[in-house]
Amino acid sequence: MDSDEEDFVFYGTPIAREDDVNTSRKKKSVAEASGQLRTLAPWKQEVRDEEGRRRFHGAFSGGFSAGYYNTVGSKEGWTPQTFVSSRKNRAEVKQQDILNFLDEDERAELEGQSLGTSSQFDTFGFTAADHARKHAEKEHQKRPSAIPGPVPDELVLPATDSIGVKLLLKMGWRRGRSIKDSHTDVAYDARREARKAFLAFSTNDAKTQLADSEPIHDKSENFTEQPASDDVQSSQNTPVYVLNPKQDLHGLGFDPFKHAPEFREKKRSRVSDNRGPGNKSALLMNNSLFGFKSGKAAPGFGIGALEDFDAEDEDVYASGYDFEETYAEDIDEPTKLIMDSKQKSVQKEAGALSGFRLASNSDYQLERFDPPVVPKDFVPHHKFLGPPETSYKLGDPGPPEVPPPQDNNLKLLIDGVATLVARCGKLFEDLSREKNQSNPLFSFLVGGNGHEYYTRKLWEEQQKRGDQTKLQLDGKLSPRTQKMTAESRGKILGERPLERSSKDLSTSIPSTDAIHLQYNLSDTFTDPSSYSEMPVVAKPFIHDTAKQERFEQFLKDKYQGGLRSTDSGRASHMSEAARALERLDFEAAAEAIKKGKWSKEISTSLTGGMEFTSGGFVQAKDTQAQDAIPKEVHVKRTEYQWRPSPILCKRFDLIDPYMGKPAPAPRSKSKIETLIFTSDSVKATKEEETIIVKRDSYQMPQPEAQGISKDAADNESGGEVEVENVERPVDLYKAIFSDDSDDEEDTSIPNEVGNPEKKAEAANTTLNRLIAGDFLESLGKELGLEVPPELSSSTNKAMNSAPPKETASANSRIYSTYSVEDSSTLNVPHGREIVQDRSSEKREPVNGNLIGNSARSNSTYAETASLGNQVDKNISEKGPLQDRKFKTPSRRHRSSSSSSEDERSRKRSRRRRHRHSDSDSDSSSDHQDRYHSRSKGKKKGSSREKSSSSRSHSKHHKRRSRDSPSRYDYSPEKERTETKRDKHKRRD
Amino acid sequence: MSVSDLPKKEVNVLKGHEGAVLAARFNKDGNYCLSCGKDRTIRLWNPHRGIHIKTYKSHGREGQLQIMFRWWRQTNLLLGCGIGRVIRKFRGHDGGVNAVKFNEYASVVVSAGYDQSLRAWDCRSQSTEPIQIIDSFTDSVMSVCLTKTEIIGGSVDGTVRTFDIRMGRELSDDLGQPVNCISMSNDGNCILASCLDSTIRLLDRSSAELLQEYKGHTCKSYKLDCCLTNTDAHVIGGSEDGSIFFWDLVDASVVSSIRAHSSVVTSVSYHPKDNCMVSSSVDGTIKVWKT
Repeated sequence: MDSDEEDFVFYGTPIAREDDVNTSRKKKSVAEASGQLRTLAPWKQEVRDEEGRRRFHGAFSGGFSAGYYNTVGSKEGWTPQTFVSSRKNRAEVKQQDILNFLDEDERAELEGQSLGTSSQFDTFGFTAADHARKHAEKEHQKRPSAIPGPVPDELVLPATDSIGVKLLLKMGWRRGRSIKDSHTDVAYDARREARKAFLAFSTNDAKTQLADSEPIHDKSENFTEQPASDDVQSSQNTPVYVLNPKQDLHGLGFDPFKHAPEFREKKRSRVSDNRGPGNKSALLMNNSLFGFKSGKAAPGFGIGALEDFDAEDEDVYASGYDFEETYAEDIDEPTKLIMDSKQKSVQKEAGALSGFRLASNSDYQLERFDPPVVPKDFVPHHKFLGPPETSYKLGDPGPPEVPPPQDNNLKLLIDGVATLVARCGKLFEDLSREKNQSNPLFSFLVGGNGHEYYTRKLWEEQQKRGDQTKLQLDGKLSPRTQKMTAESRGKILGERPLERSSKDLSTSIPSTDAIHLQYNLSDTFTDPSSYSEMPVVAKPFIHDTAKQERFEQFLKDKYQGGLRSTDSGRASHMSEAARALERLDFEAAAEAIKKGKWSKEISTSLTGGMEFTSGGFVQAKDTQAQDAIPKEVHVKRTEYQWRPSPILCKRFDLIDPYMGKPAPAPRSKSKIETLIFTSDSVKATKEEETIIVKRDSYQMPQPEAQGISKDAADNESGGEVEVENVERPVDLYKAIFSDDSDDEEDTSIPNEVGNPEKKAEAANTTLNRLIAGDFLESLGKELGLEVPPELSSSTNKAMNSAPPKETASANSRIYSTYSVEDSSTLNVPHGREIVQDRSSEKREPVNGNLIGNSARSNSTYAETASLGNQVDKNISEKGPLQDRKFKTPSRRHRSSSSSSEDERSRKRSRRRRHRHSDSDSDSSSDHQDRYHSRSKGKKKGSSREKSSSSRSHSKHHKRRSRDSPSRYDYSPEKERTETKRDKHKRRD
Repeated sequence: MSVSDLPKKEVNVLKGHEGAVLAARFNKDGNYCLSCGKDRTIRLWNPHRGIHIKTYKSHGREGQLQIMFRWWRQTNLLLGCGIGRVIRKFRGHDGGVNAVKFNEYASVVVSAGYDQSLRAWDCRSQSTEPIQIIDSFTDSVMSVCLTKTEIIGGSVDGTVRTFDIRMGRELSDDLGQPVNCISMSNDGNCILASCLDSTIRLLDRSSAELLQEYKGHTCKSYKLDCCLTNTDAHVIGGSEDGSIFFWDLVDASVVSSIRAHSSVVTSVSYHPKDNCMVSSSVDGTIKVWKT
């Protein structure tokens, strides 16, 4: 059993037995009663009701549930609603309403003020019904009713009459009747009488017809209609619920004639006999005689015989065949199936009713209007005769042309008034009409004699005015010329008179022509001032006299005004395209000439710097452009490496292509570029040497600046040529093994903090490079390339970076060309560096050549380094600190190489600024200083730095020698672009 | 699209700018239109109903600042802020700014400046420093186009440079003529470059091949816009004589030209879906054209 119970799962809390609860409470109360609790301090006592429940909470007992029962009445009490917010499920903003803050009674008061229909004017009785219902409810509460409890509102609805109903009732309307014109009601009785008589008349005939062969389904439908008697039909708007009272003793829904419809007829005839004659025939009349109105009456609806047919009574689902037509068939007119219902019924009448004759002429004739015939050439949208602005005027056909009245005086008067009205507006017409009401001369204003002519004239004037304003707008004429007519203005401007008057412009000019005309006009009215200045025409087409002639003619046309003759007979031998081209040329030339005259005013006043004004480019172009046949432009595509900043990639939602890679060279560092560039840099170093030489002896020939390396090599000694040969393969190696150096670079970057460890690191790196260099050497040998055991330029570099001992041993001829002062100044920092280097690590590689090689192998960074280096140089060149500072530059430079391009560029710009100020203040001595400091830094720093710095060096040396030796304006930025351009040139 | 479908009928004239209107652009869904003028205002229009909705003032101290937003989510960014206050100001260009565009996600604004640089500004951070400066141009950068992965700039130095962010490379296509305005075809394969020798050139982006040249208009001294229709069937360009030219894209014939304005047509912009176009002019008006 125990095990069983363990398996049970219990949900919920078991109901405590009442006894237990009661006993506990009772115990307590008993204890209370007996005064046992009295011993407690008063503040510890609890107030309980007779059930033993705690009654006081909150404020009274000092608990948290303050106010639960006693004050606010909600469980939360006054505690604010807890703030609930999560990312998914936001707390919704509650739209607070004034009603939220109102008590119930206040709310009721407020609602009392709300807008409602007063019971008096409550046509539909909504408000009144509500009111009444409320009232009834109150009443109901007051006195007891048979039904206990509140009666559902829907069931008991106190009757109220709206004011509308009351009014209608007073006007004679009765409930259950449709509201109609009074005369229909009046006519109603008369019609009823007539119908009665008519029914009596036709009874016999109809009955016989019915008896023989009426289709059964028709009957059945008619049957339902049958009991619809007159009195019921009179009320159309109240639903008639009982149309077909049950008269038999069958069960509901039981149709005794279901399978024997033949007998239904019998039965019905019997019934109708019982009910009296004429009943059935009334139905028939309904169909045959009056039914023509109800061609599509829904079968089986109780439409009164003489009631007007309403739209709602039409059976939308009715087929073409309704009982009416079948009835017509029965009376031997089977051919007319689909006809106009009216016609059909007329024909029906002919044969259907005995005792009636077909009227010889029916006064009821449905009038049919054929749709107007659309002309074949009619276009369903409007075509404007003129340009859009004036189209509303031109498009207006205007009143028809009217011959002027005989009276010449009247004609003059009309003309004058029309002109005035056209000018001053409609207001004038009204005014004069008012003033001259009695004057018979002005009767044309109010539709008397000559009115048509007046309207026509007025319209013409308006047309004219419209054209004038348009022309003025186009010509940008001053407003005061508005009073002139087109002719007078034309005379003033010396233009050719227009062939067409504005009158027939309105009617006969096709749209294209109008536009053309307008175009010409607007061209015509170029500012006349230009003409006066034009005689001083430059001759842009001197070499081609014919063309020049045409050009002058063109200018004359252009500035003299008047319509341009479209048939340019003088250039008829030219093709249309050629003429157009030439015209464009002329336009351009004229424009250029004009611009040359007052380009300043135009450009500043009109466009104010929107034009390109860079370097007189435009004008130069303009004057030369006329005959310069636009040559074929070939698009040259060049590809560079470009490093987007990581944040840019992020913002564009792209993966940084350079992610994790060190900062690249500023640009033009693709593989091909590198090859070219390195040779460049090599050459630069080379040049540096020559320059150094030159510096000592200024007579040395200037090497070709930035020239092709061949030239430079030619100018240089054989050693340089050798260098050239040597460097290429190294670059090739670099291209192959660049990853290696990259990695080294990466690893070395973070460790640049400048402690002895870094030195060790650097030593390792160099060692690696050494090995790599060995490898390269062997590889080069294998490939048949000459890898120099000792190099001229690289030796130089190597010497710079290697300890001086090395420098001393490696006696290259180039180094020997160093001036004494140079070498001396160079030596001092060398010494220092050695000390430091030695102290830090013993494994400093001795082989400078290889260092040089490997250094060059990652000359990508050398380029980068050059920038940073220059910054450093800038810092370190200052005075006596330089010796101590030589260490910092290297560090800085390396870190800067890793910094982003942006940073670099910023530095660059700063540097540039700095440079300028520097160069202005101090002169060559400064430069000397710089040079030394750099060489120092170079020596100590990585060979990378050296190569680049030497490169830049070479350049400004060149410049310096070329310009003045004293002034030294150093702009690395410029140099960079220079080299870039050169490169481009070379590539091109 | 046939020739008759070209928007040549003037529907509305939007007036309000004092002085020349430098550019007018549709927004992305084509319901609104933004224009900027020499009066240093940017105005928002409903071109279809011809209503001026809003004016944004205080841009550009020199008045040279042309804002051509690609304005991709106008409702949020511009209409949404309702008041039209300046929400961000980027400084840094040494000269005037010739063109500005948002990127796809409106996270970056790229501006082309007279100082020969393209600068990318971050819209998401509060930083006012450009996140990227592209200064490989050698003359004023006139216009800029952005794709999802590329920044394309056209410069007076005659180059159209494509900076591919994904590949990390720069493609420089030298046209030899100062490039006024570039606009990209809707399929993104071609670039239309309006050059200052009165020629609009169509470049293939992948091969840098010169596909076609469109001539007949005058464009020698102004920054005139050109664009393609939304079906890429026709090239539209303004002219300095106030007319707008329509060329057939393929055979470069002038299909039509309309005399649109009384002065230089500075900009044309085509509706992204409908046959509708807005043009702006130095005469201070913006006109809306439909078929």
